[in-house]
Amino acid sequence: MSFKINDYTKSRALFERAEKVIPSGVYGHLGPAEGCFIPVEAYPLFAEKAQGSYFWDVDGNKFIDYMCGYGPNVLGYNDKDVNAAAFEQSKIADCTTSPSPKAVELAELLVDTVASADWAFFAKNGGDTTTLAVMTARSATGRKKILFASGFYHGVAPWTQKLGYPGVLEEEVANNLYVPWNDFDAFEKLVAEHDGEIAAYIATPYMHGNFLDNQLPADGYWQKVRKLCTEKGIILIIDDVRCGFRLDLAGSDHFYGFEADLICFCKALANGWSVSALCGKEFLKSAVSGITYTGSYWLSAVPFAAAIACINKMKKLKTPELFRKNALMLTDGLRAAASNNGFNLVVSGEPALFYLRTVDEAENLMLHQEWVAECVKRGVFFTNPHNHFINAALTTDDIKQTIEIAEEAYKVLRKNHPEL
Amino acid sequence: MVDQKTLAYINLYAVLGTLENLCELDPAAGALLTNRKPISIGFAIKGGPSATLTFKNGKCRMEQGVAECDIKLPFASCEKFNGLLDGTVTPIPSKGFQHIKFLLKEFTPLTDLLAKYMRPDPADLEDEDFFVISTSLMFYTISVAIAQIANNDKVGIFTANYIVDGDIEFAIEGGPAATLRAKNGRILTLKCPAKNPRASMKFSSMELARDLFDGKVNAVASIGAGKISMKGMVSMLDNLNRLLDRVALYLA
Repeated sequence: MSFKINDYTKSRALFERAEKVIPSGVYGHLGPAEGCFIPVEAYPLFAEKAQGSYFWDVDGNKFIDYMCGYGPNVLGYNDKDVNAAAFEQSKIADCTTSPSPKAVELAELLVDTVASADWAFFAKNGGDTTTLAVMTARSATGRKKILFASGFYHGVAPWTQKLGYPGVLEEEVANNLYVPWNDFDAFEKLVAEHDGEIAAYIATPYMHGNFLDNQLPADGYWQKVRKLCTEKGIILIIDDVRCGFRLDLAGSDHFYGFEADLICFCKALANGWSVSALCGKEFLKSAVSGITYTGSYWLSAVPFAAAIACINKMKKLKTPELFRKNALMLTDGLRAAASNNGFNLVVSGEPALFYLRTVDEAENLMLHQEWVAECVKRGVFFTNPHNHFINAALTTDDIKQTIEIAEEAYKVLRKNHPEL
Repeated sequence: MVDQKTLAYINLYAVLGTLENLCELDPAAGALLTNRKPISIGFAIKGGPSATLTFKNGKCRMEQGVAECDIKLPFASCEKFNGLLDGTVTPIPSKGFQHIKFLLKEFTPLTDLLAKYMRPDPADLEDEDFFVISTSLMFYTISVAIAQIANNDKVGIFTANYIVDGDIEFAIEGGPAATLRAKNGRILTLKCPAKNPRASMKFSSMELARDLFDGKVNAVASIGAGKISMKGMVSMLDNLNRLLDRVALYLA
């Protein structure tokens, strides 16, 4: 069958209004620049509504959404159980002078669920927790330097950005050290060169950076890193903001067979309700307790109620296994769609957060960007520079339709590129 | 913070190097150089770059080094050379005194003409031909300045190290184009369109390019509005934008 090509007239009109009153119209990762909408005409710019695995844009176009709001949608948009818990709590209390008992309930649930957690500290965004993790490590060790895996992303606070980025001072990144991902020898060498200076190593459970095939940890990498960090008094921080609860409900460190000292959660924690959490080991509880770190909405009860419902439902559905099964069904189909039309689609990273790349000789991603655009125009929201996400509401029919659209998009590429 | 050595590289290769394009684009520039024998000026900067401008048949070409120049202008430091560009230093040739007339009567009017285009009177920009030449010259200057910053400026070197190898297409629709060739963390600018770019950044019009160069609009906002098209390895373009931010600092 042939799929309808989306029209984005209302999206464009709204964007023109937005440009007048919002910097860049839509800024950040949801916007056309950072989101790499290539070409921008192929993409919707504003969503009207969402349900389950779908969202509808302001022009009424429906999308099977494989970005899931860049991760928060883990059970399906508007999940009835999570929303019921949130709405019920909203009738009782939310942003109050004394925090709700829900804070304690959620912390207890996280300590029971996450293998390396002895406590939980709540905030709003993933970046709040990575910043707190680094501050905790510095406070606990009395050291300045932070070690990063090259290709990292840990939020947008100045310390997470790079020299030369607008608004970032050289002094703010002066204590950042960079080491290639998965290279334990380089890690060991850098640690030796800065013996006694490194407060923490912060990394995601595997390298899910943009524009490059995602890389899983090499055999034994994390175990060797863990051992050296312990020997050298370096705090091991796992930024599980993106992967958290999608690979393993006990944490992605547990999934890969090691224990972090500090672990950061956000996206999948409450199915879109705004809450994040830094969890950590007992020996760091005193250090984190002494840090001045708070926010107006960080102890709001409604997102806590949502998070409790979300975690319990993820446990009930065994979402990591579900995601793996569905993602493999999807990506096997996508690969076949490419192959049927003479293309090679590389799938990398963990299945639950699959990263796609259509191979081209020029190694410039342009062919892949063209394919993604053709999919989006037909109602499958993929992205070209970033890993994808799936949620528990995704059905077999959704997967089947996605593969059909992917096949049609590859046929368009074949027609557009007879030279290949 | 402006680094004097980086500024010297920009002033030599990006600013004076744009004389090549001026002679191509403005007949008045070419006319200043006709009816005369070929002649070359070498700029030798201690602790900095060196290059020779050769004027022949109404055209100008810049090449690295000063081995075969007719007039040689030595500068004791990058600061002294930068003083030439801002008018605070008058150079004394160490070679080619007999050609001093060329320096005064032809080269100086040529650089004055370049300055007229590079720092234009707003009223002059009302003229369409002037606008196109001025914007094109700015484009070439910026294209070459990007490479100088990537290769010399401390922050630029850090940024360029994140750019994977390959060509970046940097162009204005219906206007000038350049290839920014990245290799091993260094960048070389070629004043010609890219054949097989790994990434592409194209401005939709000369007007948009002008507004970007003048800081009136922002590149990120223009991408959303569809006025700048980008494709390919966008990480290369992300870092290119960081270098462009530094260009504004040096050429302000």
